[in-house]
This record gives sequence, C-alpha cells and structure tokens, in this order.
Amino acid sequence: MTVNESAPPSENWAHIIVQALKDWDTSLIAYVPDISIHRVTSIIDEDPFFRLVSATREEEAIGIAVGAYAAGRNAAVFMQSSGFGNSINALASLCLPARTPIPFFINLRGGPGEFNISQVPMGRATVPILDLFGVVNFTLTDDYRMDRVVDGAMKLCHANRQPVAICLTQLLHGGKLA
Amino acid sequence: MRRFEATQLTLRLAGDRPIVGNLGPTSDELWHAGHRDRNFYTYGNMGLCSSIALGMALATDEQVISLDGDGSLLMNLGTLASIGREQPKNLIVVVWDNEAWGQTGHQTSHTGTGTSLEQVAVSCGIASSSTVTDLEELEGALSSAIATDGPHLIVAKIEEAGYLPVAPVEPEFTLYRFRNTFVDPQQPAPPH
Repeated sequence: MTVNESAPPSENWAHIIVQALKDWDTSLIAYVPDISIHRVTSIIDEDPFFRLVSATREEEAIGIAVGAYAAGRNAAVFMQSSGFGNSINALASLCLPARTPIPFFINLRGGPGEFNISQVPMGRATVPILDLFGVVNFTLTDDYRMDRVVDGAMKLCHANRQPVAICLTQLLHGGKLA
Repeated sequence: MRRFEATQLTLRLAGDRPIVGNLGPTSDELWHAGHRDRNFYTYGNMGLCSSIALGMALATDEQVISLDGDGSLLMNLGTLASIGREQPKNLIVVVWDNEAWGQTGHQTSHTGTGTSLEQVAVSCGIASSSTVTDLEELEGALSSAIATDGPHLIVAKIEEAGYLPVAPVEPEFTLYRFRNTFVDPQQPAPPH
C-alpha cells in the first residue's frame, strides 16, 4: 500500500494551524498557492479574521509579510519547498538581519510518497538549508500533539524575533495525488 | 533630476508617512536627506522594496511610500501584479529610474532599452501611473498621489551624482524603531 492509497488524513492539521495563527494574532497571510496545503489556505481565505494575499513568487510573499509586521500586523507565509528555494535571499538578507518573527509554513516535498523527481532535490535540501541559517524548524508527519508544536513554534518565533519553519509533509496532509 | 534632490523633495512632501528605501544608495540618500523613525532602510533583499511597502499598506490605513529602483523592480515585476490585484488605496510607489544598474558598473538596464515600467504598471491594474523627468513634475505627481486614492506609481527619471557615505543604520534597529511608531513598545508582540 502506498501513502496515496491510504485513507485521507483528517483536516485536523489545517484547523490546528488556523487556531494557532489566531491565538498569536497573526492575521496577514502571504502565500503562493499549493494544492497540498490548499485546505488550510482556503479556510483562511473564508475567515474574515484573515487577509490572505497572493504573491507571484515566494520571496515576494516574505517581503509582504515583513512589511506587514513592520507596520504592526503579525504575518505568516505559506509556500512549498520549491518556493523556499525561490526565497532564500529574502530569508538571508532581510528576515535574519532585521530579526523578523515570521512563521513559514512549508509544504515539504521529496519525502515518502513523492512522485515527482524534480521536487526531490529542493525538498530534501530544505531542512538542511534552514539548519545552515540557524532557522528553528519542525517537521510534522502526523497531528499528534501538533497543536502544542505549532503554538510553541509561534511562541518561540516571537521570543527569538526570528522566523521559524513549520514543515508540513505528505504524511500529515495527504499530499498531491498522482 | 538628481536622485538626492528628488529624495529631499519626497521627504518634504511625505510629512510623517512611512517610507521604504530600496537597497544601497537609495537608502543612504534617504538617511542623509532626513533620518527619521519612519524610514525603513534596506541593504539587501533586492527586488522586495515595493513588496515590503505593499505589506505595510495592507497593515495600516496610513499612506506608505516606496522608493524603488528600476533594476530592483525589474527583478520582481510580479509585485506590480500583486499591487494591481490588491489595489491598496494607500500605496505610492516611486521608482528612481536611471536606466542602469548603478551599483554594479552602470550597465544599461531594460528601462534603457525600451521597457516602460509605467506601461507595465498600467497593465497590472495600477491605473494611476505616470513618468516624470524633473523636480517640478515629480512634485506635481507626488502631491497629487498624496491627495488621492491609489495605488499610484511614479517613474522618476533620475541621474546619480556620485554616492553619499553609507548610512550608519542597523537592520534590526531599523525594524524596531519603525515598528514602534505603529505599536506600543511596552506591549511586546506575543499576545500571551
């Protein structure tokens, strides 16, 4: 049995993320669409608490989030790991020197169940690159105690005044079917 | 029009409005023209100046001014599409356009070979877009933008006249200082 043939995971993970964003008064969400995390971004889009902003590229989403934070509104970004590759300089030359507490929710490709060879290198390199920069990151493969991890990551993000990355895997959300 | 004179004019018209400076000389000249807490200087993240300003405009009702550059905006033209999509009434993007990558040897940029950032902006839905070539035109366009709903984009054709000393600014302190003009510094970000 492959991962894709298993029963679809619950949507609990998406609601946990939405609740954590609300608990931390994080209302501006900048993103580039991704089918695997569409469930969470569509809940955000329908909730008037949030302002969901579509960027054309992930580094732009980071710029928008930093601007919102600078003007007093907490912000987060959603992207997939290929988009993290597009945005490394925004992290390195803006977020880290300016110390911006922006949570990155990254759909991590290249793990169990991946079907696309082109997604594997960047997906596998994402966590090592985050580690190189010293960006605290958590990889979630199921929703057991996920509420505590995400809430704790948000707290750490603000305490450290640096981004944190919460990596969401196909094992968690069911992934893209192919 | 010299960019530093244009920056001084912009600062005079801006009042207390927040200003984001593009990386390098634009931020240096913004500091020399008049250092203030509401100047957001950048020294990296090439291409993101107007993206940062867009995020600010979506977080506050105040008018936000971006001082971008032609080479930088060409690196992230998508942000014009995002501004067109979001239609922030309170965003003014000024592009210092010297038709060159000034910091890397003054190579001709794409605005020097026919790309019109004004027309790109209009195509992206930024209807109030214009190009100015002298200080008088800039003053007119900027005064009009400040007085009306945006988003606005003003391409200002400029010349560089040497470089001023690098501004003594620190990214972390820039953000702290800037943000504290919007939030009470006694109330730290974590709500619990």
